[in-house]
Amino acid sequence: MNSERLTRALAGILGADHVLAAEICASYAIDDHVPKAVAFPGDAQELAEVMRFASSEELSVIPWGSGTTIGLGGIPARVDLVVGLTRLNRIIDHEPGDLTATFQAGILLREVQAALCRSGQFLPFDPAGCERRTIGGILATHSSGPWRHRYGTARDLVIGIRIVHADGAITKGGAKVVKNVSGYDMNKLYIGSLGTLGIIVEATFRLYPLPDVERTWIAAFPTGDAAARALTQILHSTIVCTRVELLSTIAAQSACRQAGCDVPAGAVAAALSVGGVPEAVETQIAAIGTLCRREGASAGCLVEGSAQTILWKTICDFPSTSDDRLSWTTLKASVLPTQVVDTIRHTDALVGRLGLESAAIAEAGCGIIRLHWTDAQSPAASDPLSIAKGITDLRGWITDRGGSLVILSAPPAIKTATDVWGPVGNALPLMWTLKRQFDPKGLLNPGRFVGGI
Amino acid sequence: MDKSRIVRELAALVGRTWVISDPDELAVYECDGLTFLEKARPDVVVLPDNTEQVVEIVKLCGRERLPIVPRGAGTGLSGGAVAARGGVIIGLNRMNRILEIDLANQRAMVEPGLVNIALTQAVQDDGHYFAPNPASQAASSIGGNVAENAGGPHCLKYGTTTTHILGLEVVLASGEIVRFGGKTQDRPGYDLTGIFTGSEGTLGIATKVIVRLLPRAEAVKTLLASFRAINAASEAVSDIVAAGIIPAALEMMDRHIIGALEAWLRIGYPKDADAVLLIELDGPAAEIEAQANQIKQICVRHDALDLRIAGDELERALLWRGRKGAVAAVGRITHDFYLQDGVVPRTTLPRVLREIEAIAKRHACVIANVFHAGDGNLHPLICFDSRREGELQRALAAGAEIMRLCLSVGGSITGEHGVGIEKIDCVPLMYSPDDLEAMRRVRAAFDSDSRCNPGKLLPTPRSCGDTNITYRPHRIEREGLAQRL
Repeated sequence: MNSERLTRALAGILGADHVLAAEICASYAIDDHVPKAVAFPGDAQELAEVMRFASSEELSVIPWGSGTTIGLGGIPARVDLVVGLTRLNRIIDHEPGDLTATFQAGILLREVQAALCRSGQFLPFDPAGCERRTIGGILATHSSGPWRHRYGTARDLVIGIRIVHADGAITKGGAKVVKNVSGYDMNKLYIGSLGTLGIIVEATFRLYPLPDVERTWIAAFPTGDAAARALTQILHSTIVCTRVELLSTIAAQSACRQAGCDVPAGAVAAALSVGGVPEAVETQIAAIGTLCRREGASAGCLVEGSAQTILWKTICDFPSTSDDRLSWTTLKASVLPTQVVDTIRHTDALVGRLGLESAAIAEAGCGIIRLHWTDAQSPAASDPLSIAKGITDLRGWITDRGGSLVILSAPPAIKTATDVWGPVGNALPLMWTLKRQFDPKGLLNPGRFVGGI
Repeated sequence: MDKSRIVRELAALVGRTWVISDPDELAVYECDGLTFLEKARPDVVVLPDNTEQVVEIVKLCGRERLPIVPRGAGTGLSGGAVAARGGVIIGLNRMNRILEIDLANQRAMVEPGLVNIALTQAVQDDGHYFAPNPASQAASSIGGNVAENAGGPHCLKYGTTTTHILGLEVVLASGEIVRFGGKTQDRPGYDLTGIFTGSEGTLGIATKVIVRLLPRAEAVKTLLASFRAINAASEAVSDIVAAGIIPAALEMMDRHIIGALEAWLRIGYPKDADAVLLIELDGPAAEIEAQANQIKQICVRHDALDLRIAGDELERALLWRGRKGAVAAVGRITHDFYLQDGVVPRTTLPRVLREIEAIAKRHACVIANVFHAGDGNLHPLICFDSRREGELQRALAAGAEIMRLCLSVGGSITGEHGVGIEKIDCVPLMYSPDDLEAMRRVRAAFDSDSRCNPGKLLPTPRSCGDTNITYRPHRIEREGLAQRL
């Protein structure tokens, strides 16, 4: 179907105001693939109608939230239609007494937090780029940030979900209660499925009360090993941290400086938050400080109030776009907590040989490391093939140790040269069977998920 | 089916000792913790020792087109471990080894037959524990906990079983061994660990389970408050949560339970207590000290008759004694009871409790309540006497009404016991045909012939993959108490 007919047909469903034609779709390109049209349904029913149309015409559909993490995933096999979810941006329901709320998928996390904050509550999501993220995007990509240390991820926080399927059927999973074992836990299936099984249009969450006070201790360590020793002790202690972040040299300089904490050149930093009643926060922060000093921390800062907000926002948004080091490639390594420092060290050495720099931000207690590879001198000069080889080598090293390495974003030239997801294990055929059950025509995000799903 | 040949073949796989085919011995397996609904005897029970034997058994059942029913300790409360359509029960009790404890990374790998409490016992000297603690934890197996996504009093703060499962080794109906998740988190691909957990044995047989271990909290504080009116107790619950406190446990018992406990254990609750709240806090000592003070004030504000705080482990056990004995105590006031498991949003508790009271009146029965108030998970115990004509029917009818009530306020028909055979016909009350179709697709992807635990979780088969199941109306349907939609 040509673009003009497609646009006309979609306008018939949604109204002309809510459809973009091909010539102005360039900003919705996915890995340089420009869609034939972009549609913005106003509710689940309209989206269902768009899906029935797409299904009958066998058009591929790419769901789009804020576009922040559209870089995640393999190069799409086909891009016909982008479905933008920004009009599904309402708070459906918030019952403070139940600590639950239901949001439409296109709402921005910033707006969610602002609304919840008025009741002294929050949704503990702080993934990279958090302010600009949509709820649906966070769920589809299973994004997480420092708070996962204490609160888990979407898989722990979503209690109900609403999906528009490839054939236009609208289904729900779960309920508005925090405990529910009726039928399969369908929420789990859609979270992190990158829109390949259905499009998330609504989700219900369990919420948390904002702590009375929250403070962060930043400790600078001369070596990663010293930091690792301190973190291990803290993770095995009775101290309850809300965030346990390890920042490699470059990230430490950038983030800590913003928060007004000077970190010596060449040092790595650990940032640990504790929330709760003031007296408990104070004793725990003091204990963290003592432990860090004993393991050789060369400096420490207590960060609270607006400086604390800035610190975590900087970590969330790292590397900032105003930074002169623009990220080339962002990766997510998942390893065991005891392997975090080794993995960062190994990455630094490997990347150094490629003439690049790597900044690492890690949820140390979870073993999740976000790696940003940059070329400070001249990004254009970097050879995508050598970067791709670097990723493959690092992935080999990590998978040998039981972990995984995923490309979060990279230029198409790199994605073409190496697998975005890496090995999936022997359940891949089962995943393909699931995909065929849910989307037999292969319309949803084709080619972007693991193993070419 | 040539049973004696199948028994011989199974014996060749696992040894004759581990195959049960004698009718009297099979009687043990005709039900699980759900004892009063229909019973079903398996054709054979087989007790494998390792994954390879499970694979061979599953392949044999595949060739013979026999249903396979995984079973752990058989403590489930919804009939999930019953061979509803006959076939082979695969008992996983011998596969109870702890394969790895990685304390440095706070993980363990265990076999499914391991009894829940045994894992905590293995790591407690190192200051760790396995968080899911269903009431059955001294008997139930971790594989069973995975199958049912078991809850328990502490899941308000720490989440249900699914939160603590990182990976699985699963034998599919095809006999294939597949690995989901792993020791590290966020492995690429669909969250098969998540969808498998709580699937009640319908997607395959877990043969290894990788779990998270948690470090023990610095301190624990247990409080017990009695109230003159159940409404006051409900409001206290709301206020505790509104104050931003998430207790490790927040349990409520009503006057029927209190009466039954007093008659049996003489715990010494105040005479005019209409409701008792058991509140447990854990965490940093300074934190729970402050929270306990807040809770005290809240209870006083709601005219608590009595407030006790456990000072040590012994007193803590004493305060828990009533809660732990609650279900057993009901046996003192009734010949039989039907234990329900609905969930409602916490804010609807006062209204829902009033309506349950009305349901009890309508059906002229006693409904005692002991429940996880913090997460709105009700456990109404509907009392009846199976020896008297029509009483079971009345109890089932009251149970169905309670389920409808839970759904009418946005809740669920089961919070932790599962669907099993008990609630299979009530599932359509909660999910539309399209919702169920999505679940059937999951089932079809894992087990296209529906040979894993048929007759559980998913109501009346529609898809062609399910055709080898013959439909039998559930008892509550036969008795005209519920209808298929």
